[in-house]
Amino acid sequence: MPIYEQTYRAYDGKPLRGFRWWVMVKQELRVLFGTRAFVYLLIVAVIHTSFRVFQITVYDMVSVSSQTPALMALKNVAMMQVDERTFFDYLRIQSSLVFIVTLFAGSGMICNDFRDNLIEIYFSKPLTRLDYIAGKSITLLLVGMLLTAIPDTLLVVLHNLLAPGRETLRETYWIPFSILAFSACIVLPCALGVLASSALFSSERYAGIAVFMIVFGNSALGTALPELVRNPNFSIISLPMAINRVGETLFAQPRKSFPLHWGWSALFVGLVCAFCCWALASRIRRAERAS
Amino acid sequence: MAIVELNNVEVSYGAIKALRGVTCTVEGGAVGLLGPNGAGKSTLLRTLLGFIRADAGEASLFGYRLPAEALEARQRLGYMPERDAVARKVSAVSFLTYCGCLFGMQRSDAMERAHEVLNYVGMGDSRYRKMQTYSTGMCQRIKFAQALVHDPKLLLLDEPTNGLDPEGRLEMLELIKELVTKRGVTVLLSSHLLPDVEHVCDHVLVIHQGRIVREGSIGELTTARENLFEIRVREHQEAYRNALETAGCVLQTLPNGNLLVEKPARLEPRVFFELARAQNTHVRHFVAVRHRLEEVFMQAIGRH
Repeated sequence: MPIYEQTYRAYDGKPLRGFRWWVMVKQELRVLFGTRAFVYLLIVAVIHTSFRVFQITVYDMVSVSSQTPALMALKNVAMMQVDERTFFDYLRIQSSLVFIVTLFAGSGMICNDFRDNLIEIYFSKPLTRLDYIAGKSITLLLVGMLLTAIPDTLLVVLHNLLAPGRETLRETYWIPFSILAFSACIVLPCALGVLASSALFSSERYAGIAVFMIVFGNSALGTALPELVRNPNFSIISLPMAINRVGETLFAQPRKSFPLHWGWSALFVGLVCAFCCWALASRIRRAERAS
Repeated sequence: MAIVELNNVEVSYGAIKALRGVTCTVEGGAVGLLGPNGAGKSTLLRTLLGFIRADAGEASLFGYRLPAEALEARQRLGYMPERDAVARKVSAVSFLTYCGCLFGMQRSDAMERAHEVLNYVGMGDSRYRKMQTYSTGMCQRIKFAQALVHDPKLLLLDEPTNGLDPEGRLEMLELIKELVTKRGVTVLLSSHLLPDVEHVCDHVLVIHQGRIVREGSIGELTTARENLFEIRVREHQEAYRNALETAGCVLQTLPNGNLLVEKPARLEPRVFFELARAQNTHVRHFVAVRHRLEEVFMQAIGRH
């Protein structure tokens, strides 16, 4: 039909039976990557990754040709060492960036739909609440993984490419699994927490501030309470510390945070995620009824 | 098979009963949903969308039970909500393409369809602008377009002419009418504006305090009044007036110059012609005055 004809034509195509949440993910990512500030934040993330690429490259080059005493000395500098600690540290540092990026990308994701009354439009389509929540959550998970698991795994691959051999492979084959698990541990509570806050508050600004205050207050409490009760295990109530504790175990690092078994920390992180999911689902259900 | 079928549907919000045993069937065409604020119109639409589970009774769309098979039913319906709904950060084309994809359309199909529908609702080049820059009227058109993007068989329209200027309003009503008459789309139109309903619909459902208090075709509901007529004679109007008054009729002159005549029940309508002949004039216009939809509505909700 020529575009200048103002008439209505019946659509005779067959609708696809697919995952509606994937449509949401694609749309959200399209909107996010169309936002300049979001792209700038991703560029900031690249700076840290570039430093790690440099570190691994230098270390592996030195490992291959370690004849010169100056290079040998460089290899022994702790900061330039490449082992499981490197990949763990990378994720730890990236976690703050994940928090900022998730806050930026997710704090308006649901409350803006409420504000703009889009919820009733979306739910008048063949879309379930689960599709909606999954669509939003998976978008943030993908963004989070883009900053953590994906580059960190690529760093492991780079390390294996620059220092090929059975020994490197034996030392690093398990690291990608740890990276994936630890990344999920960082990104999941972050994404679900931001989305729950976005669902509970009326503006993205309030949602962002609320999440920031909760994390800040929680960390402060996690530092102060163990001192007050003279029991380091109380640090578990700090979500960042609990996540860190899980990370230490996943990367076989010596315990620095608190002596409590890592299972409790994992359980705590899981409970936080479950609570966020529940808050999110019940708010969306209420909105659907009231829309 | 009926498109919409409600059988003794009851919905309540806590202690408040929003729908009390609503039973109705919509076979097709355009049906107006009338009722004062808080009558239960929006609850009825939300129940049809599957947002709300009925406490009692059965509801179905296209034979699909609600809310259990709501997704199947929603595949065939388009909904235009009353409140402004815009995705501020994207253009109308992008938003409609997204809506099409949510219905399971291929992205290329959805994009093509988005352009067609935006063209149909009269969105020109502004379709490429971000929606936050749109006027109320444009947002209204976008809401209508998103309801049409997947070619629905049933349209649920909640106050579709809100915020439109007179020209835009008429244009919107004509588009809806065209969909009903030429494309066979069934429309359920909820509106406070009775002229809008009269313009588009052939049937009405009057809902009040959660009950359907009146239903039927507009033709049936707006029946001719027994003793009220609008008359115009060619000449000697004054003499004719006097003759009618002498015969016991009550007269009123309308702004267009015609006479609104209420005759006593004992007189037959042919008296008007006999009196005209006696006054040496001719009747040029003679129409039995019908009940207006507004009167029917007010009567139905007990305000008359």
